[in-house]
Amino acid sequence: MRVRVLTWLIAAAAVAANLTAQTPAPARRPPDLQGVWRVWNLAKYDLEDHGAKPGVPAGRGFVVDPPDGRIPYRPEALAKREKNFAGTRDADPWKNSDPLVKCYLPGIPRMTYLGWPFQIIQTPDSVTFVYEWSHKKRVIPINSTVQVPKDDTAWMGFARGRYDGNSLVVTLTNFNSYTWFDMAGNYHSDALQVVERYTPINADTLQYEATMTDPKVFTRPWTIRMTVQRQKDIGILDYECTAMLDELGIHHTWPRDFDEEK
Amino acid sequence: MRTRTRVVLSIVMPSAILAATAMPSAGQLGRPGGLAGVDGSERAAATKAGPIPRRPDGHPDVTGTFNGSPGGVTHTVILEDHPGGFGVLAGHTLIIDPADGIIPYQPWALEERNRRRDDANGYEDQVGHCEFYDVGRIHSFTQEYRFSGNNFVINANQHITRIVPMDRKEHLPPGIRLWLGDPIGHWEGDTLVVDSTNFNDKTRMSLGGDFHGADAHIVERFQMLDANTIKWTMTIDNPKVFTRPWTMTSPALMKRLQPAADFDVEDTCHEGNVDLVHLKNTYEKAHGPVWPPKDVR
Repeated sequence: MRVRVLTWLIAAAAVAANLTAQTPAPARRPPDLQGVWRVWNLAKYDLEDHGAKPGVPAGRGFVVDPPDGRIPYRPEALAKREKNFAGTRDADPWKNSDPLVKCYLPGIPRMTYLGWPFQIIQTPDSVTFVYEWSHKKRVIPINSTVQVPKDDTAWMGFARGRYDGNSLVVTLTNFNSYTWFDMAGNYHSDALQVVERYTPINADTLQYEATMTDPKVFTRPWTIRMTVQRQKDIGILDYECTAMLDELGIHHTWPRDFDEEK
Repeated sequence: MRTRTRVVLSIVMPSAILAATAMPSAGQLGRPGGLAGVDGSERAAATKAGPIPRRPDGHPDVTGTFNGSPGGVTHTVILEDHPGGFGVLAGHTLIIDPADGIIPYQPWALEERNRRRDDANGYEDQVGHCEFYDVGRIHSFTQEYRFSGNNFVINANQHITRIVPMDRKEHLPPGIRLWLGDPIGHWEGDTLVVDSTNFNDKTRMSLGGDFHGADAHIVERFQMLDANTIKWTMTIDNPKVFTRPWTMTSPALMKRLQPAADFDVEDTCHEGNVDLVHLKNTYEKAHGPVWPPKDVR
């Protein structure tokens, strides 16, 4: 009996599949990503597996490729990561090596998992990410035919977006070399290229993937993956990072410091 | 991308001097300029103004890029009648009510405004720190209006995005204070009305020290006059600061511009804000090394 039911089910499925195949597929609508979202995990501390550090819970990393979960640094590039991290212990923002401590733009993908919410706004020709952190925003043109300028660089990269099935895919180029990936000192050069992929996996969850390619620092491309939760209780509010420095009595009258190695 | 530091500071630095030396001079008022807004990159749309475009729900479609500048930087320092100088064009008052064009400050607030207008206190202005502009000051900028879901979205340069929900009824609890307040939109006939409360007290409305205070209730009206023109007004009420509600408008009617070909302009004002130290030096010369300044309520 059980076998007959199963046979029937398989046959019915085959008929259904056949019907689907004969019906012309409707033009695929882009995924609806709108709403307020938040990443609430340990990625901001360290993208790799790590033990506890002062103020930092131990936890798993987010690197899914390579399979060992390690960022594939070139051997000669690892020393700078260690030097970066060693410099993050200074309480004076001016002397601290982490550019985020000075409220400099965090770059991509770091902005995504910084811990502050962001709102996604879609129009037919663009996707805007509005971040609660320092009111920053990215307006990503969809299917733009405008060429990215060759010699211009940006903290957050130059973005070009497209839809791929149920995903928003953002390709970023033209980064400067001043931003990091996390508080552990993981970094990149100006050769960085990032491909972000936002995919809804249910009504209240996005899967976020970012693949980093930078032959000057890494031996191969590597990918992080994490989930992003819909935040339902309130819209995005604001966190003006430099104003927080003001409140702490810290003057942010620094000379331009990021062009050279400190 | 393009850095904004130079634009901001070229406004900040001479403005403090202008604020100190400003004397009304009728001959200089209303002088037309040749610049095209703070961006300097937009041109007025070539299309002829037609009837008001409508959205499927029948309301005016205010989508597009608009600028309310008469062709130059006019009211960054003083919102009332002022002469030109130091890169700022002369202009008539933006205040349309009361009729005398003067902001109706209470005596203590006028004294505080004038204290802020003092050259020595320019370091207190949040804009020199690359922090947020207030809802009034951004109306000198090019703005991009869109609808997205239940939101009316206003994009402007620097890092300004205002997301105005059209479906909310109540403001946030009073404990939550925001730089641009908590905006809620609704339609009154053909006019889009944005009602904002829940401000913090960190913004100034001009480099000349104007302010509205944390408990302000601000009502903006976006009225489409034709396909290429929006009339914007803003009524501010705060019984703790003003003697009566008052209303201002943009320096000129907001005109439709060609949208920028590639509209993502990264805001890197803070990164390498090397001129802020000069404002700090002036401040410390007058006050000694005291920072942050006392809160003003």
